[in-house]
This record gives sequence, structure tokens and C-alpha cells, in this order.
Amino acid sequence: MKRGTVILIVLLVVALAIGFLAASVLHNGLSAKATPTPLEVMMARKARHMAIPRQARALHNPVVATEENLRAGRLHFADHCAICHGNDGSCDTMMGSGLYPKPPDLRLEETQKLSDGELFWIIENGVRFTGMPAFSGHHTNPEDSWKLVLFIRHLPQLTTTEKMEMEKYNPKGPEDREEEQQEDDFLNGATPAPKPEAHHHH
Amino acid sequence: MTMRMRFFAFVALVLLMAGAAFAHGDKKHVIGTVEKLSADAVTVKTAEGSVEVKLVANTMYVAVGADKVAKPAKLADLQVGDRVVIHATPKPDNTLEAAEVRFSTAAAAPGSKPN
Repeated sequence: MKRGTVILIVLLVVALAIGFLAASVLHNGLSAKATPTPLEVMMARKARHMAIPRQARALHNPVVATEENLRAGRLHFADHCAICHGNDGSCDTMMGSGLYPKPPDLRLEETQKLSDGELFWIIENGVRFTGMPAFSGHHTNPEDSWKLVLFIRHLPQLTTTEKMEMEKYNPKGPEDREEEQQEDDFLNGATPAPKPEAHHHH
Repeated sequence: MTMRMRFFAFVALVLLMAGAAFAHGDKKHVIGTVEKLSADAVTVKTAEGSVEVKLVANTMYVAVGADKVAKPAKLADLQVGDRVVIHATPKPDNTLEAAEVRFSTAAAAPGSKPN
């Protein structure tokens, strides 16, 4: 392809991107409430795929899927990840639904078809321009991230018992704990029922 | 990664920052006694009136027994008159979809029978 043609295409793409961005800003500001279009989602996934080094994508999980390792990954996920992703990986959380782009449902094929290495790389390095932070170097070691990869693979088969255990490890503030106590008291026979309200729930 | 691929990745991420449609917010807690029950919905009598919540395949059920211990349960264990705490997701069509249904039987929680 001629150099002039390439420059023209590049300029056109940049102009389109700027126009798209400007139209979005004029429409609703840079609100994170928006949902990315299918085209944006497709392009972002492609970009993320290309941004992960080939050697990293090819890595296999060195941690064996024992019950102990799965539990460690599960509880780590409950403590560090569930605030956005939810204990079940559905991302049906206040944080998850308030991010732009929305985090993906980790149980679905789009995430499950990623290689072990891709999942590990995303956990360790985060994803720029999204809410996904880099976890490497923050009081964690690579083995913790590999255990998280094990747990992400297990998410489609998550049991109620496992989810109940995770709820004990979700970070909670004093209001959350008080609300939980009120609900438990109600279920155990206390009256009247606590006033129902919308809550920030993990 | 080649320069062309890097450029494509950059443009894709720029486009990712734009968007048009809207999403929705957090969980609603529905607390009361089971008034009506079917395979796909539960109606709860709350302090503020009756509230219908849809039940879906991913809805999680937890039963609190007379020993006050929470255990995994299933829809078939839930009955009219049970005390219930439902964490539900508001949907764009103004319906509620149950993520978690915690309940105690009338026997486990005295006084839970509907009026």
C-alpha cells in the first residue's frame, strides 16, 4: 500500500474516532452509565488480545486444581474481586454496573475461552482504560493469581455452599453488617421486618 | 507487536471510551413473608405492600432452619408464609430479578404466617 494511502486511512480513522467521542460527550457527557456498543466491545477485546504478549498467552496454569487451591482462589476472589465481579462472576454489582466498560460475565464463553495465560496476565497487569487494576506487586504473589485463574475456570459450576462461604469473606462496612444482622434477626423471628431499601451490595 | 497492530489497539481503546446507551444500578432488598409463589415468581408481603420478584435459573436459595443455621436450599423448599429476605436486581423493564432468596420456615420463625 502506498504511503500516502496509509496516511489518509490513518487520518480518516482518527477523525472518525474523534467524531464518535465528541458525539458521545455531547450526548451524555463521559458518563460511565453508558453501555459499550457491540462494535466497541469487539474492538476492545481484539485490542486486549493483541496487547497481551504471545509468550504470556501461551502460559499454562502451574497450580494444580486441588480442593485446597480452589478454596484459596475462591476466598481470595471474595476478598479482592467480588466487589466488582460478584461472588458468582456475574458482575451484577453496584461497582460492576457502574463501570465503563462493564466488566464481563466471567462465567460466559467470552471469558472462559481465554487461555490460562491471558487470564493470569489480565489479573497481574490489569486492563488500561477500564476498571480492572493490576494486582501484581501488591502483597500478592503470582501463585495467588494462578489460583484465581483456577477459580475463574470453576465459576460456571459454583455451588450455593461455596457462595455462602464467600459471603463471609466479602469486605463489608459497619452499615452492611448492621443490615445483615437485621435481616438475620428477621429470619429468626424478630418483628417487625426491617425497612426495605436499595443497598450497595457485593 | 507490529506498529500497525499497536495503532489498531490504540484506536480501539479510544473508541471504547465513547458510548450511548444506559445501564442500571444496585440491589434492592425485599423483606417480608411469602404471599404467593410460582415456578418463576414470588410475591412478598412487605411493610410497604406486595412486591413481586422474578425467580430465574441463577437464583440462589438459602434456608435458615430452627437451629438458625443457613443451608443451601431449592425453590421447592420455599412455601407461602415463610419469612424471606430477597436480594434482587432491578431490571430496565421495572421488574425485580432475585439473585438470592434467604428464607426461614413458619416453624423456624414464629409469627411469620401472613395475615
